[in-house]
Amino acid sequence: MASKSARTRAGRKSNGFDDAIPVVHLKDIHKSYGDLEVIKGVELKARAGEVVTLIGSSGSGKSTLLRCANLLEVPQSGEIIFDGNPVHWKVKGSERVPADMNEVRLVRTNLSMVFQQFNLWSHLTILENVTEAPITVLGRSKMEAEQTGRKYLEKVGIVEKCDAYPAQLSGGQQQRAAIARALAMEPHAMLFDEPTSALDPELEAEVVQVIKKLAAEGRTMILVTHDMKLAQDVANHVVFLHQGVIEEQGNPSEVFGNTKSKRLIQFLSATVTA
Amino acid sequence: MMGFCADPATVEGVKWWMCYLTTNTHISFYKSFLVVLALLALTAPLAMLLGFAGALARRSGIFPVSLIGHTYTSMVRGVPDIVFFLFIPIAMDQAFELTRHKILCPEVIGPVYQGNDFVVCTAAKLPLSTADAWVHTTYGFFLAAFGFAIVFGAFAANTIDGALSAVPKAQLETAAAYGMTKRQTFWQIHLPQMWGFALPGLSNLWMILVKATPLLFLLGVEDVVYWAGALGKTKTAAYFDYPHGDWRLGYFAMLLVFYLFVTWVSENFLSRMQAKFNTGQATIGGKKLPQGIAR
Repeated sequence: MASKSARTRAGRKSNGFDDAIPVVHLKDIHKSYGDLEVIKGVELKARAGEVVTLIGSSGSGKSTLLRCANLLEVPQSGEIIFDGNPVHWKVKGSERVPADMNEVRLVRTNLSMVFQQFNLWSHLTILENVTEAPITVLGRSKMEAEQTGRKYLEKVGIVEKCDAYPAQLSGGQQQRAAIARALAMEPHAMLFDEPTSALDPELEAEVVQVIKKLAAEGRTMILVTHDMKLAQDVANHVVFLHQGVIEEQGNPSEVFGNTKSKRLIQFLSATVTA
Repeated sequence: MMGFCADPATVEGVKWWMCYLTTNTHISFYKSFLVVLALLALTAPLAMLLGFAGALARRSGIFPVSLIGHTYTSMVRGVPDIVFFLFIPIAMDQAFELTRHKILCPEVIGPVYQGNDFVVCTAAKLPLSTADAWVHTTYGFFLAAFGFAIVFGAFAANTIDGALSAVPKAQLETAAAYGMTKRQTFWQIHLPQMWGFALPGLSNLWMILVKATPLLFLLGVEDVVYWAGALGKTKTAAYFDYPHGDWRLGYFAMLLVFYLFVTWVSENFLSRMQAKFNTGQATIGGKKLPQGIAR
């Protein structure tokens, strides 16, 4: 499969000689819907082993920015550089679109996403959810994929649910299964789009625990979250987005302990009291 | 036919019934049940194929293709079925014969449509007038099956199109996010999830198709209803070997049993399919099943 060999090539580049190249590098991203500009020139880098968290109020553009990273949203301008390889563009009508879908798939197979609403495939069992993309997209054998799948289901603590359907699981279990699905792709980096926002506090805790474990393993992650505690605990780098621009960023102790921007002070006090 | 049936006037009781029920006309009657089942077996997959083609055409991003899809489904669903059942076999037959006429006998000059008559050269006839009777019957049967398939395919297309639209967008977006191509997304996620939405509509269509089979008679295919009517009529000793009164009630009761049986088998199969698609789904249907069914 073409995507597979391409993936290997990119893998060598990032893990080999140059660790300074960010796994994900978004450069001067602009994204608008019609007249509404939601991202106004944002730069974001995630180096290997780094956990970057994006915080900000609803509508600040943090989810949109995350979705630009794996091209679920196509920014009107700016560069998306994955493992040092920029995505190429072409013009279609009045829109800019990726020139080569193979490039897009290469980015997506290496950047597994975890969604707010879990989005497990409802017609597949938990094990099938975890093996689906490795078999279909990466061309793994069923046996190999199931072995890997079980390994990651075990890691998130729900291997005993592998024959259940998603709807038969609690929200927390579903999200952990979704994380296992992302891990099973053995990606270079993971994207989390508000992974705990759809969960009540009790179920949230079990998912948070898994995310912390992954962060401690040194996985590269970009995490959009409303959970300031989580942002503070797992992040190497915190980015505060406000109305489509970065208002403040830095390491968590600086951003949370010595907040500079007025808007972030406002935002943090609002989230603490909420 | 059994030997003792040689002289029908002399047999009675059980033997009479044995002879009566094995006459040539009765054999044709029994065969007509197979004709109905064959029609169902041929029409259903053909209609599904047309249904998928129609649905995908309607959803196509290419304008002419989607126009064809919309025209097909709207037109066929809007015109009375019976008009199509009558129109399609005749139209197809004439189309075939006209094409053959142009190719096989180009030397024949003169119009094919002569007033009310459709005249093609002998070599262009379908089937050839020298062909066996069964070839004629089979040809007529296939034209009829195609007529049915076109009508039911249009309804199936509408059902399938609606079911494809009912699949949550997030499910497909997730597939894209994991690197699936459009084709992989369609086959792995979209299509399997579509069935649960399409099945109630498709099972309705199947039952309507079963009930529509007697319309075959209109197309000159001698089906169960034709034979039941013909065999049940009063038979006088002057013309028939096995005279009897008006037995239509009995014959039609047999049809009732036959159609109820087909319905029962269908319902069983379809509810099993529905249960399969409902398994573990976050729907009312899915919740009816024991929670632990998959564990």
